[in-house]
Amino acid sequence: MVADKLNEDRFDEMLGQSLRRHSEPVPADFTDKMLRQIKEAGEQEILARVVLQERLSLAGCIVFGVLAAFGVTVFPGRVGGILRGVADGLKERGGALVDGIGQSIPMETIRSEWQLYIILALVLVLAVCIFVDMLVGDRLRTA
Amino acid sequence: MVEQICEKRRKKEWLRLLRSGDHKAFAEFIDKYKETVFLCCRRLGLREDEAEDVASETFLAAYKAIGRYSGRSELSTWLWSIAYRQGVNYLRKNRRQWQLEAEPEEQIGGSKGQGPAAVVQSKETEQIVWEAVERLPRLWAMAVILHYREEKNIADIAKIMQIKENTVKTYLFRGRDKLKQVLAAAFEEDVDGGRQIK
Repeated sequence: MVADKLNEDRFDEMLGQSLRRHSEPVPADFTDKMLRQIKEAGEQEILARVVLQERLSLAGCIVFGVLAAFGVTVFPGRVGGILRGVADGLKERGGALVDGIGQSIPMETIRSEWQLYIILALVLVLAVCIFVDMLVGDRLRTA
Repeated sequence: MVEQICEKRRKKEWLRLLRSGDHKAFAEFIDKYKETVFLCCRRLGLREDEAEDVASETFLAAYKAIGRYSGRSELSTWLWSIAYRQGVNYLRKNRRQWQLEAEPEEQIGGSKGQGPAAVVQSKETEQIVWEAVERLPRLWAMAVILHYREEKNIADIAKIMQIKENTVKTYLFRGRDKLKQVLAAAFEEDVDGGRQIK
């Protein structure tokens, strides 16, 4: 019997069978514990992502501020010229836009149909609220 | 044939769910492989609490990396690699790599003076074999388990243990040889003692 078990041809077979029959003990609640850990890890990952976004935007603000201050200090004339140019352009275009709106919606019409314009304004406010919520709502809720 | 196709499709769908981060599929994955992961951790010589910690780390790492699993190697081979790496890293962090080369009884103590048969009195063949494997140096035992229990080929074992294929062959050859000697002595003594090996 011993010789048979240790027979060169049968040894590997006996070894494989015996090892496959072995069952390794595992703590009873291991799967549940693991799933809880995975859920917690997922939540921490989301939180870490939000913190990273916040830090990036803060870093962006700081860098932009520093660059602006640097530009104003080192090239005051050039920065002033650029800003004046942008402001003039906006004033010109903005004026034209306001004139156009004024012409297309006469005050008489607004006075006669003020209820409609109130409803439109409410819809616009609601749309802005939804848009803001879509962009930063998650961050506000998580905080 | 039809059953095989259905099984293949079911496995593919399960893998897809697993990759997409589905919790139910991952619970199934844990249930299926937790025994394997604990086996790997304990064979590396980790204590109970350490084995549980490393097993948890292994499944967490698997959860994070499952989206990148390409399917080129078997899922069990992929998980074995993670578990082995986590276990070895744990030992390295705690400056206990020497454990991998040492004979287990040198660390555990107690059974060193006993002959194999004294340790394995009147047990069934698989228990005798298992205890003989546990007495091998960790790396030999790991190679033997991967080859004979998990049915992994030399290339896969080399990938899991991050060693050369020739080294795997050496571990397997030495492990098998030592097992044969230990088992011969154990079986002989059982027969001499009048006990019947089942």
